[in-house]
Amino acid sequence: MRRIEVIRAIAPLVTPEDLLTTSLGATMDDWWNHQPADNALFVGTLGSVTTTALGMAVSMPHRRVIAIESDGGVLFNLGVLCTLGAERPANLTVLVMDNGIYESIGGPATHTGRNSDIAAMAEAAGCINCRTLTATAAVGPAFAAMLDDGEFGYMVAKIEPGAHPWPVDKKKPTDGVEDKYRFIRYVERLENKTIHGGAQHY
Amino acid sequence: MNANSDGTPEYARIFVDGLKEAGVGLVTALPESLLKSVYRLCAEDPDIRYIPVTNEGEMPGICAGAYCVGSRALMIMENSGIRQASEPIARFSFRSAIPMVMALSYRGDFGERNFWGHNHAQTMEPMLNALRIPFRYVRRVEQIKPAFVRAFAHADASQWPAALVFSGECAEGVDYAAD
Repeated sequence: MRRIEVIRAIAPLVTPEDLLTTSLGATMDDWWNHQPADNALFVGTLGSVTTTALGMAVSMPHRRVIAIESDGGVLFNLGVLCTLGAERPANLTVLVMDNGIYESIGGPATHTGRNSDIAAMAEAAGCINCRTLTATAAVGPAFAAMLDDGEFGYMVAKIEPGAHPWPVDKKKPTDGVEDKYRFIRYVERLENKTIHGGAQHY
Repeated sequence: MNANSDGTPEYARIFVDGLKEAGVGLVTALPESLLKSVYRLCAEDPDIRYIPVTNEGEMPGICAGAYCVGSRALMIMENSGIRQASEPIARFSFRSAIPMVMALSYRGDFGERNFWGHNHAQTMEPMLNALRIPFRYVRRVEQIKPAFVRAFAHADASQWPAALVFSGECAEGVDYAAD
């Protein structure tokens, strides 16, 4: 299956009341074109997509939080699996897009393209509800079950290499600072609270 | 070092009280020896969500996520940890201007008796300066609470990280100067 097919399968399941973090690279453009609202923080830090979602999840236990990770991102910061396994936030679901390569930089293999198995490592690290999926038809039902089961979940989608060819006007046009403010202002409206207020002028 | 009847150092109690007064509800840390009582108190406190991690590079994401949904979080590490955490800190700050507050224990302060501690001190200020992180030393107990209040105010207003470096009366198991 292709990454865009996984995105199309999960997008209808993510509501404007959920919060989400995405991996860097082409996944950002994919989610930008499918997001239901400004409820996604586009994390441009390799190895920190899931930790950012973890910080959100433990701070907002009343909201579902989703992390769309990459195999390169997981491998960059493997200790996170142990922290997730220790914490197991019930409102956090992690989806890893595992294509076995570093696609954004031209395609050299990651270690999942050789011998490493992310879901097995996650399970050994203490994570629960770890699954690896290889068929598009299974993604939607499995992801919906993980979102609604009231437990932590960790899904690895084994995808083929290949980015969706978004035209220029469909690529995410925002930078990291605008992404932050869009997300923060969205959460402020969602939660009816102030995160970043104005200056005091004194 | 002053301590209460159960042996908890005074600085550690005031550290945790100061966190609460500053509105911090989430603490993430890679435990080490100089602030060891702080980690124990955080883990035992029902009002603090305490997340120990496997290396310092996990903590910037946790704090960034907490900030972006309106929670105050603190990351605590030995000063050597700034080297490990520098990559995600740089990306969250220079790329996205996401503030975060960090507390560093000052391994290698003046009087350090361990040869292995000196490299931590030698690289700390250059690392903080390279990351353009404003920082203050906290060496006396009475400095702790106002330091937390100012650090969070500074980070929030600047939309940039801020750091506090603990030594002197505010570190345990060592004999560093408190001035």
